[in-house]
Parts: sequence; C-alpha cells; structure tokens
Amino acid sequence: MSNQVVSHEEWLKARLELLDAEKEFTRQRDALTRRRMAMPWERVEKPYRFEGPEGVVSLADLFEGRSQLLVYHFMFNPDWEAGCPSCSFWADNFNGIPIHLNHRDVTFTAISRAPFAKIGAYKKRMGWSFPWVSSYGSDFNYDCYVSFKPEQNADGKSYYNYRARANALADEVGISVFFKNESGELFHTYSCYSRGVDMLNGAYNYLDLVPKGRDEHGFNFTMKWVRRHDEY
Amino acid sequence: MTTHRTGTRKDWLAARLELLEAEKEHTRRSDDLARRRQELPWVKIDKEYRFETDDGSATLADLFRGRSQLLIYHFMFGPDYTAGCPSCSAIADGFNGIAVHLASHDVALSAVSRAPLAKLQTYKRRMGWTFPWVSSLGSNFNSDFNVWLTEEQQRHGGYEYNYRRAAALQMAGNEGPVAEIAAMTGTDVATYTRERPGMSAFVLEDGLVYHTYSTYARGLDALWGMYQWLDRAPKGRNETGIWWRRHDEYDKR
Repeated sequence: MSNQVVSHEEWLKARLELLDAEKEFTRQRDALTRRRMAMPWERVEKPYRFEGPEGVVSLADLFEGRSQLLVYHFMFNPDWEAGCPSCSFWADNFNGIPIHLNHRDVTFTAISRAPFAKIGAYKKRMGWSFPWVSSYGSDFNYDCYVSFKPEQNADGKSYYNYRARANALADEVGISVFFKNESGELFHTYSCYSRGVDMLNGAYNYLDLVPKGRDEHGFNFTMKWVRRHDEY
Repeated sequence: MTTHRTGTRKDWLAARLELLEAEKEHTRRSDDLARRRQELPWVKIDKEYRFETDDGSATLADLFRGRSQLLIYHFMFGPDYTAGCPSCSAIADGFNGIAVHLASHDVALSAVSRAPLAKLQTYKRRMGWTFPWVSSLGSNFNSDFNVWLTEEQQRHGGYEYNYRRAAALQMAGNEGPVAEIAAMTGTDVATYTRERPGMSAFVLEDGLVYHTYSTYARGLDALWGMYQWLDRAPKGRNETGIWWRRHDEYDKR
C-alpha cells in the first residue's frame, strides 16, 4: 500500500465525492428490495419432508407460525463429516440474526442434504443456535437448484445461478424465500446464488471498507484464507 | 399480501432474470466502491489517543493487535447510558461472529464507546459477545471522529455528522421513536443523541497510524446484517418505527 498522505481537508474532498457514489448505491439497494417485493410468486405444490430436532416436518412447519421463510442452502453433502468452511463463515455472520428477523414476521432456517445427526453434531461443535434441518432423501435441494446429480453435471446441465453449466459441485450455495398465506398455501418468491449471497456476508461488507479490501487476489480461489472459526 | 400476483415457473423466471441483471450490476458497483475506498488518500494521526481496554491502557496503535488494518465500530454507549444502544446492539449481533475471521485476514475489529470500561464489560457479558470493546472516556477520540457532540454543540449547532454541518438539534420532547429508543438506554433524547454511530478504518504502517475511511448514518446499512436478509423477504423491511430490541429483551414487551 502506498496511498497518498494528505491533510484532513484534502481527504475530505475525496471522501465527499465517494459519499455521493455510496448514497447512490444505497438508493439502488432500496430499489432492488422494492423490485424483489414486486416479483410474482410461484406455487409450491410438492410435499417436501425435512428432518429436524423434533422429527419429520413439512415446508409449512418450517415457518413456525410466521408468513415468511428465509432458507440458507448450507453446503453439507451427506458424505461429508463437517459443513462447508465457506458456508460456516456465512453462518458466523447470520447466527445472531434470526431472533431479530422473527420480529418482522420472518423465520430463518438453514437446510442441507446431510442427515440430521451430522448437522446436529456440527452445529453443536460450532456453537450455533439458528434452526437447521436436513433435506436428506427429498427433492428439495434439487428443485431449488442447489444440489446436482452426477448425470446433470456430466451432461453440462447443472442449472446453477439461472445458467446451465457443466462444473457445478454436487452441492452449491444459495438462498430461497417462501411465503405462506392465511389459507396455508405456499409460494416460492425468490432465490439467489453465487455472488447473489455476497451482501449477506457482513464480513465482506466490512472488508470492503478497509485499505486492502478483500485482499484475495493472490489466491486460486477467493476464500482460500477462510477457516472454520475453531480452526484458525 | 394475499392478493399478490402469482404465476407459472415461466412467468416467475422471466421476472427473476430481469432482476438478476440489476442485482449483478449492483454487485459490480459494490466492487467498484470498495476499489475507490482503497484508493482514498490517508490522513496521518498525530494525536495520542488513550483507551481503556481489558488489558489496561492502550494507544490507537495497540488496538491493531499486530494487524496492519483496524476497523472501529463507534458503538453508542455514553457514560450516562444504563445499557448500550439497541440499534448498535443489533448491528453487533451481526459482527460478533466475524471478528475472528477478520483478525486472520489482517484486520482487527474493535468497538469503541465513551462509557467507562466496567460498564462496557458488564453489558458485553450480558449480551454474550466476544469482540474487543474499549472505552474512550476522557479522550477526544469520539469527538474527533464526529460521533460525539457536547451539550453546547447540540444546543447551538455547528457540529458535523455524516459530512454535513448540523443545525441546532430540535428538541422534540420525550415522545416519538427516538425518545422510545433513548428510554431503552435509560436516558432522554438529548443525552442519547449526543452519541452517534459510525465505522472508521485505520492503517498502521512503519509504526504510524493513518485514518483511511469513515462512514455514518445509512452508510452503516450494509453492515447491519439483519437488513440484508429482510431485503430479500416478501414484505421487505416491513417497518414503521422502532421494532427491534436487544436480543434478550424481545419477550419482555
């Protein structure tokens, strides 16, 4: 780093110019929220089953009496012994947040394909409290385009982040949002993937403020520096 | 909400793809802003600030804990508050888990408030947080970074917040959302609003500390984790007033 060193007045000039761009960015973010709220909804008709701490539950059950459900598709393949380190980094960001969301009529849950026993053990190891259920044996992850069968990858037909691609992993990251109306009907309202989950990682928003930024240029994959919080 | 437009997968996808383009543009803009922040000039810090920390008295350079970058969250907790600001507490619920990640990536994250250290420690224990939090009581630090104003400034104006000169504060009495949140800190509107929230970044190079960046007001929006999630919910932020509470106070209403 070899930034110019200036007086506070000089710095302020540069900062004020950037401030206008930042305000424009905030307004653009508000506009995106309005567009998401105006999206049409699609009905969810499949009876998905999940396994949680209290046994088998339906998608409707996951709402826990609220009308909105935010799902974090946590990458945890049934063959793995621990959850994905990058998703674990995301989880360290959102672990303290569900209680606040609950008071805006939103229930938050993580969902992974690993069997519930593995999820429960890993959650305990990491000291997390957010709800997390298993979709093992269900089509849920495949229908949400966050898990892919070997034949899909072989055909170059893994449809991830709204594009067909050949090199998707067996499990990928994403966020899906659902709504339940007074009659109990379920709707899928929104999903995002890939860098669409970027804004939900507070740590990256914080790194975007510091002199070195995300500082990931020299790595062969961006999150090479990330470890589980008990593995640094 | 029950009259919301529903469609087939095809309808939904068409709308979603259009929105995706706008979201990608937003992500690129975010990257661009980060680059511009990195290019900002720096201002050398010449003052000798002192802070009270868990390990005793410390300088600004000490707060880097061996890293070259320091992020300070200006947490609103004045000496007269009985507990930290509920909004700052909701922000802290988002960053509490990430200090360990940032620390391994050459960034020390610390909160700084004017309340005496013992008050900060008690409240931090109550909330179950682990991030470093130090007291700037008796130092000009909060005032120099525009997150604290005197009663005099409050009455007559002339202080700066979010890069704007502010006029004298209109004392709205003890009603409304600000009074409500002030009451949650055991203070009145005037005392509560003499503290302000913000985030400042510093760099340590060859033993010298430089101020690189500060953001205030809605500049903190992207750092307030819960809002990024609500921005994806069908009802959005869905708020008309102060709905949030400290995480251990929700059921006490």
